[in-house]
Amino acid sequence: MQLSDGWMIFVILAFTIYIVLDGYDLGIGVLTLLDRDDRRRRDMLELVAWTWDGNESWLALIALALWAGVPLVAGIALPALYIVLIPMLWSLIARGVSLELIDEQDGWHPLWGKVFGIGSLAAGFCQGAAFGGLVAGLDVHGGTFAGGPFAFLHHGYAVLTGLTAVALYVLAGAAWVFLKSGGETQLRAARVGRIAVVVLTAGTAASWLLAPVAGPVSLDPGAAARLPIWIVGAVVLAAGLVFALRSFSSDPRGRRSDRAPVFSTLAVYAGGLLLAGGLLYPRLVAPDITVHEAASPHATLLFLTIGAGVFIPIILTYQAYAYWVFRGKVDVKQEATTA
Amino acid sequence: VGTPLSHDTLLDLSRWQWALTAAFHITFPAVTVGTSVFLVVCYAMYMRTDDDVWLRMFRFWRRIFAVGFTLGVVSGMVLTFEFGLNWGPFARDVGPIVGVAILMEVVMAFFLEAGFLGLLIYGEGRIGKRMMMFSACMVSLGTMLSVTWILVANSWMQTPAGYKLVDGQFQPVNWLHVIFNPSFGIRFIHMLVGALVAAGWFICGISAWYFVKRRHLPIARRGLSVTLGVLSVLVPLQIYIGDSVAGGYVAKYKLPQLEAMGGNWNSTNTGENMIVIPNQGAAKNDWQVTIPWLGSALGAKDWSGHTATPGLKLTPKSLRPMMLPTFYGFRLMWWPTLLMIAVVLGGIALRLRGRLYSARWFHKLLVGLVPIGFVSIWAGWVLAETGRQPWLVNGKLLTAAAVSPLKPWSVLTSLAVFVVLYLALLGMYVWYVVRAVREGPGDGPIVEPAAPSLRHERRSGLASAS
Ligand code: HDD
Ligand code: HEM
Ligand code: HEM
Repeated sequence: MQLSDGWMIFVILAFTIYIVLDGYDLGIGVLTLLDRDDRRRRDMLELVAWTWDGNESWLALIALALWAGVPLVAGIALPALYIVLIPMLWSLIARGVSLELIDEQDGWHPLWGKVFGIGSLAAGFCQGAAFGGLVAGLDVHGGTFAGGPFAFLHHGYAVLTGLTAVALYVLAGAAWVFLKSGGETQLRAARVGRIAVVVLTAGTAASWLLAPVAGPVSLDPGAAARLPIWIVGAVVLAAGLVFALRSFSSDPRGRRSDRAPVFSTLAVYAGGLLLAGGLLYPRLVAPDITVHEAASPHATLLFLTIGAGVFIPIILTYQAYAYWVFRGKVDVKQEATTA
Repeated sequence: VGTPLSHDTLLDLSRWQWALTAAFHITFPAVTVGTSVFLVVCYAMYMRTDDDVWLRMFRFWRRIFAVGFTLGVVSGMVLTFEFGLNWGPFARDVGPIVGVAILMEVVMAFFLEAGFLGLLIYGEGRIGKRMMMFSACMVSLGTMLSVTWILVANSWMQTPAGYKLVDGQFQPVNWLHVIFNPSFGIRFIHMLVGALVAAGWFICGISAWYFVKRRHLPIARRGLSVTLGVLSVLVPLQIYIGDSVAGGYVAKYKLPQLEAMGGNWNSTNTGENMIVIPNQGAAKNDWQVTIPWLGSALGAKDWSGHTATPGLKLTPKSLRPMMLPTFYGFRLMWWPTLLMIAVVLGGIALRLRGRLYSARWFHKLLVGLVPIGFVSIWAGWVLAETGRQPWLVNGKLLTAAAVSPLKPWSVLTSLAVFVVLYLALLGMYVWYVVRAVREGPGDGPIVEPAAPSLRHERRSGLASAS
């Protein structure tokens, strides 16, 4: 294995951590749109307020891990996705700022509350669309992007993946709220979570089946060798979806685990990543840019590997510490009395 | 990309978008870097003296800090992506070096800030005093490391070193030379001190406002005293450092910028230009106001007044930076510095005569100086970045060759939205700070945040308990 493969593993790891963490926090933003009760919405906000900044740092890390590690890809893919990434940035700005301002009114500020929810929704959608645009492939000539500004849409394929991502994030958000709250908040999260599972199942199936026809990605001859990866991925994904559906149980006295939806959601993530990775690897930008030709020189990769190797464990430690400090459920007692 | 005309349009739009988004971003580090240090001081004093006034100051400034920090985070994210979005060829060519420096900033600084920010802002009632102190220190350390690595990246673009060019890509040969490139050390110090100075005037001015209004006097007194004391040291220091930046590295590595800064085309003027209206095309000034002798004295330290300042015609036409932003960028950084010195000296004189807390005209003046540090910081960056043009990597990579092949209308649209969005955010930020200051740090007994619900009302503990 070359250093560049190792670095790609790191990128995938960072990517996974990002969509898991910011996934729940964007998803909770969407959940606040579906609720009218001030107390419940504030409870949900509490789950996001202290953590969104740390979650978003993983997004900066992905962007830079690609830029520093495989600069060719950053130079091609980002301009190709301009039309969708710029609105993603606006959405992230809007939700980050509005989150600070909801406090300006006791209860729930109507305007900033809406901006927070819609910004979260739009950011998730744009991320899914960008991912779909990449998976389906980009027109590249002579090391630069050669398609039009809307080429990434691939006849609407990117819209499909955008919606799928929203469903995924809503599932993650619902699972996290289910774990961290009680009473009516929890029950409502379960209801939304179940709907998200259904939408997500349809969306994932369609996204995966349509990927080969959507854009210049084509199944290369080596694809058959990756059949086992796909089978494992599909099984894990399906199991995750089924358990997620069942684990959003509404009976607090039954044999219920508040953690089960979170674990099921993690299985969904794992299965989905295996499927997408199996489709693409070793290409980075379909149809034909591979990791090895896009990678930075050895001296760079070595520096990156050492830097990340030293600091990522430290980061994980203090992030885990913060989660420990903020452990437990939000305000369940008051919740129970008003519910 | 098509015709050269549309390439020029694309380039101009992309430059404006970068300039706007970068200038917006830098506004917030200018507050947060210094304020984070101030928070550390307040909390440390609280722990040592157990005096509630320090705790109240800590909570008050923390609220103002938090909103600035949020704006810094979201606008920084934009810049991170813009490297690839708008400057794709640049990303491809310098990724192995500049990308690495900024990645180190992410793993060493951003995560650290973010990891302890939640504890700093929402942790009271859940963590002890020592942990709170530690969190404040870590957030502050994070902002310092951030300044360090971003200046590694940007200084390497000013004075590239330690690399080899392979097929147009800059590849590292010696990391020590890359990181400690010739301009890094002095620029890092200049920026760090600049950020501390800017936050110093910000805090000082707001404290002075309470004197004017005769409210919260214990808090106002400490705020004013600490910041003016620190500024009395840092402002003179910054003049010395700035002079080394100009005379040391700019004169050595960025001569065209030095020529443009002086506002001369021919190398015959021994005076100092105060106002120029440059005509870049005709390579002359349409109008200028000059003080004789001073240019020779300040620039070349030739007190006899006989050394002329070098003019921009020494640089070939196609490689000249724009005189207008370079000249005024320097003036708008340097003239406010003179005012700062005057005010700092005035403050020392008043303190010696025991009138620092009673001279109302002085307090009003300080309120007016709240934004002065930002002006210098914006102007300094305009100077450094426009002075490097037409190069992106000084002498090696032309800005014109580094722009992404986007449709000009795509960039025009995004630029238009950024203008509106950022103006709105700036307005909102000012409104928020003004309101937080009006509400004030509270007069009643200190309220301990009650049971650990995850998020206690941020304003609680400030409002007076009735
Ligand atoms: C003075 C130093 C300074 C300079 C020149 C820059 N920044 Fe910055 N940046 C900071 C000082 C800082 C900071 C102090 O660390 C921030 C600012 C506001 C904040 O609250 O944290 C921050 C935040 C910040 C964040 C969010 C970090 C997080 O999630 O916590 C990103 C992604 C960037 N910046 C990126 C950039 C880029 C790409 C720049 C270059 C063009 C840049 N910054 C210039
Ligand atoms: C690593 C850090 C930085 C990099 C890589 C960088 C890169 C660039 C790029 C790509 C441009 C566009 C070229 C052009 O405008 O002609 C530019 C210009 C500019 N940058 Fe930076 N920059 C950095 C930091 C900053 C910061 C922190 C500021 C703060 C305000 C800043 C202010 C500007 C301004 C005002 C321009 C406009 C120059 C012009 O219009 O000619 N830059 N820089
Ligand atoms: C409080 C006062 C000041 C502040 C806040 C300030 C801030 C800044 C900033 C933010 C920059 C851009 C970063 C950089 O290039 O390092 C800069 C650049 C610069 N400053 Fe200042 N500055 C101040 C005073 C001075 C003074 C008194 C001088 C000189 C007499 C000076 C000379 C320079 C020069 C020559 C540059 C351009 C460096 C380059 O091209 O990279 N500064 N300043």
